[in-house]
Amino acid sequence: MIEYVDTLLPYITTILLISSIYAIFSLGLNLEWGFTGIINFGHVAFLAIGAYTTVMFNMSGFPLFLSVIAGIVLSGFFGLLLGIPTLRLREDYLAIVTIGFSEVLRFILLNEQWLTRGPFGIHGFERPLQDVIPYQHYNTFLLILYLVILAIIYLSLERLVRSPWGRVLKSIREDEAVPSALGKNVFWYRLQSLMIGSAIAGLAGAMLAFYISYIDPNTFKPIETFHAWIIIILGGTASNKGTIVGALVFCTFLSVTQFTNRFLPFTAHQMGAFRMIVIGLLLMLLMMYKPEGIFGKKEELALSD
Amino acid sequence: MDILSVKDLKKHFGGVKAVDGCSIAIETGTVMGLIGPNGAGKTTMFNLISGFERGVGEIMFKGIRTDKLSPFKIARCGMVRTFQIPRALTKMTVSENLMLAPKTQAGERIWDVWLRPRRVREQERQIREKSRDILEFFEISHLGDEYAGALSGGQKKLLEMARAMMIDPSMMLLDEPFAGVNPTLARKISRYIRELRDDGMTFLVIEHDIPAITKISDRIVFMNEGKVMAEGEPAEIKRRRDVLEVYMGGEG
Repeated sequence: MIEYVDTLLPYITTILLISSIYAIFSLGLNLEWGFTGIINFGHVAFLAIGAYTTVMFNMSGFPLFLSVIAGIVLSGFFGLLLGIPTLRLREDYLAIVTIGFSEVLRFILLNEQWLTRGPFGIHGFERPLQDVIPYQHYNTFLLILYLVILAIIYLSLERLVRSPWGRVLKSIREDEAVPSALGKNVFWYRLQSLMIGSAIAGLAGAMLAFYISYIDPNTFKPIETFHAWIIIILGGTASNKGTIVGALVFCTFLSVTQFTNRFLPFTAHQMGAFRMIVIGLLLMLLMMYKPEGIFGKKEELALSD
Repeated sequence: MDILSVKDLKKHFGGVKAVDGCSIAIETGTVMGLIGPNGAGKTTMFNLISGFERGVGEIMFKGIRTDKLSPFKIARCGMVRTFQIPRALTKMTVSENLMLAPKTQAGERIWDVWLRPRRVREQERQIREKSRDILEFFEISHLGDEYAGALSGGQKKLLEMARAMMIDPSMMLLDEPFAGVNPTLARKISRYIRELRDDGMTFLVIEHDIPAITKISDRIVFMNEGKVMAEGEPAEIKRRRDVLEVYMGGEG
């Protein structure tokens, strides 16, 4: 029994840590897609910008806290840069441009070795309070820290989307001609949404770097963006609570199914593909029987019409 | 004083001359009716005036050139429009639809949400109260908490007008306000338009219901094939043989 607890607790801690990072990452996308209707297929770019900026600032001598702030600000700034030329595009074109952006960024990270060490990645950087917290308790500490951050982000976003500001976002999501006719600067609101969503992804990037204590460009493949999309759709578009639950369900599923190849006649590689098949099937079933997701509201469903 | 003047406005879609050199002027505090057969260019005129489409020609609103401005800037000058096919925000509640409209809401600025929460709350309260009054007028106050998607076509029409009223505009463009609205309410809306006009608001109204539009309008513009064919007082327009022929197939 004691042995079980000894192995189970770190395992659960790991799942919760990954979930909290994914939750924050997806909450950023949920603001953009769920509340504003911006189709961003390049969300992972901002995870990468946040992670690399934090790590590189810290390694060049800045205090850790300032480095994280730099990561958040720079992610938001790149959101602005990406948004200015693209946010006037129609949804489908925006999707293409954003996914292109994230891949271009990944290749820059891969090839500009003088700056990023390219495919070798970066490790050996500082982690929050690493000299104070005993090594064996470090993940527990990190989990508590991350849950606090998640709570702050969640409460802030809830406040924002329930404010008149959030009301304008929701009106844009449905039909931008209406807020325009009422005197709202639609473009500026879409830009704000993209900037804040990107900044939140940047924060998640820093958190990811601290947790895995190693980053390389291939950590930031487009699939991560789509994981966030799965999480949002699973939990319920435009529901922040749903996004958090979606992240937990998704990460638990990914993690637990790592062991199922003991019971199934698959190699580890085949198992990886099999998991995605199962996720695809589950999403299709969800779309058929509960298209609004776990916590979404049917009346506000962004996909319907 | 003219609140709105349009000079030689043109808009061509390929070979179709939707609006072909129209000039109109509307005096402050009057109602102008815009009539004409389908495809005459009335809605395109609306789109040009409200900035949703770009054309050639000069548009002056309250002494400001607005023909190069984007729709939201024109709206901020005090002009609000409704759409022919009502554009209710169906995934928001009826109250939310109304509360979206007022301009200069502190809570629409992200920093004010954090820095001036009390002011935002107070303003929300006032806006909610105002929205209740307006919903009551349009007899849809019982629907306040419903999603606008659940409303009927006529109710959506009312919702759109109610939403426009929330802005306190100096000029309203109404695209077929009486279509699909029951007669009692249509009369009520007519009365309301006249009352608001007496308070100084200006209206440009597209309408096919000729008796209704002649009753509320101070002047009427008749458009056909992108051109202004006739302009004058309702009684004058009613007597024009060419209008009657084009518009009513000569039955009048």
